[in-house]
Amino acid sequence: MSALLKSELRKLIYLRANWLLLLWSGIFAALGTVAPILILNSDNGPGRGAFSGTETPEGINGVFANASGGYLFALILGILIMTNEYRHGTAVGTFLVTPKRSTVLVAKLIAASLAGLVIQLFSFIFAITSGFIALTFFEPHAPVPAELLFKVFRASAISGLVLGIVGVGLGALVKNQIAAVTGAVIWTLIVEGLVVAFVESIGKYLPAGAIFGLVDVDFGENDFNFSIENYLSPGPATLVLLGYAALFSLIAMRTTLRRDLD
Amino acid sequence: MSSVKIEFKDLSKRYKDVLAVSNFSAQVQSGRVTGFLGPNGAGKSTALRCLLGLVNPTGGGAEINGGSYSQLVDPIHKVGAVLDSRGFHPGLTAKQNLKIMASASDINFSRIDEVLELVDLASAANKRTKGFSLGMKQRLSLAIAMLGDPEILILDEPANGLDPLGIVWLREFLQKLAGEGRTILVSSHQLAEMQNTVSDVLIINKGVLVAQGTIKEICKGRSLEEAFLELTLRKSA
Ligand SMILES: Nc1ncnc2c1ncn2[C@@H]1O[C@H](COP(=O)(O)OP(=O)(O)O)[C@@H](O)[C@H]1O
Ligand SMILES: [Mg+2]
Repeated sequence: MSALLKSELRKLIYLRANWLLLLWSGIFAALGTVAPILILNSDNGPGRGAFSGTETPEGINGVFANASGGYLFALILGILIMTNEYRHGTAVGTFLVTPKRSTVLVAKLIAASLAGLVIQLFSFIFAITSGFIALTFFEPHAPVPAELLFKVFRASAISGLVLGIVGVGLGALVKNQIAAVTGAVIWTLIVEGLVVAFVESIGKYLPAGAIFGLVDVDFGENDFNFSIENYLSPGPATLVLLGYAALFSLIAMRTTLRRDLD
Repeated sequence: MSSVKIEFKDLSKRYKDVLAVSNFSAQVQSGRVTGFLGPNGAGKSTALRCLLGLVNPTGGGAEINGGSYSQLVDPIHKVGAVLDSRGFHPGLTAKQNLKIMASASDINFSRIDEVLELVDLASAANKRTKGFSLGMKQRLSLAIAMLGDPEILILDEPANGLDPLGIVWLREFLQKLAGEGRTILVSSHQLAEMQNTVSDVLIINKGVLVAQGTIKEICKGRSLEEAFLELTLRKSA
């Protein structure tokens, strides 16, 4: 098992594309903190009336909550970990070395969750740092409480661990790399975002809604009636996310254990 | 005394409407080079994939050392395989690809230089496999198969796409391995190419075993190609 995990980690480290993905996750998350700071502080920006500004604690909450937004990249990396094997025909070699496919999958699931964690920690730090730098241009602003950073950190870490695993399951199910990644991007950036924002009763149980609940910060009054009250509290939100991890681990196993490989 | 190393036992594999392998039974003897011959689409790759646990048979089975591949402890120390899929990552170097395989089975990295040397690929060790010629890819696949220094080698059409020099190289490579007493099962659809390399043959056509035996028994003075044509025609007549 430890040998297999080492082999999986080696694959992760060797591939340049994975490092690029890490970089993009940071840029994406940093856009999430920096863009609202710029919008909230522009004189006639569209966000001005809708949300609290950075001079209020709620505005600061809204900005820094986005630092956990890089989880899409944890999901993509999980997908790549699984689908690279099919895309490049390395699945055959992998399963020849370890015919017990469940062992290979466990190693992949662990590697993907670790990789997801790394992505989320990196993008969290990158986004928080960028947010602080952007704020210095718009003094005075409300203070950034340590508790807020802790809550967002917690959401980042858990979402990274979980979505790496979800990615492996999704990749095992879909097999086709482009289809799986495209599907994941469209789902996360468009479909899921809309459902989470506008149909909270369902959205709060989707991964993004659960992550939102896990962040657990107050955004104050705003035009979209976007209240944290409507989402799960951190405990249940964590359970929902762990449920997704379990479900997609199961999907990875069920699809891969008896599949014909060519 | 030779013994049976690999045995196909009434193996069948159906893909929807295609019966790729049909009640196929055959034996491969220890320490010999066995040619697994038949035209394209005969079912060679399917039979080998079933043997290696990559494809699930719809009937029967295949054994190595008296058990299924998945029951082997540390299989790559016992069986090395080269299949027709590429089997390595184009964005990684030859060495990185080998390191991934070696670390998955706790093989010492010093073995990597040995196998690269063995297949004459040492000079390209640190090149990305993306730019490899077909011959280089085939040799890298052989290097991967040799990582665990296995006594059994299973090669699916290793000569495919090789230029004449590559084929000569491959033939000498196989003869060297055979000389070390390894058991080699090598498939091919180019019968002439195998005539001087193999000692035993299994002939398969349309998923069915046509003949098996030593090359002398099968050929009876004819070329392998003539023998094959006659045997398949007689069988389907
Ligand atoms: N994954 C697959 N799905 C459907 N049919 C297949 C698959 N693999 C092989 N076949 C069919 O099975 C038959 C045997 O193929 P194969 O084992 O590749 O033959 P060979 O290796 O001797 O050329 C062919 O008719 C081929 O089209
Ligand atoms: Mg074939």
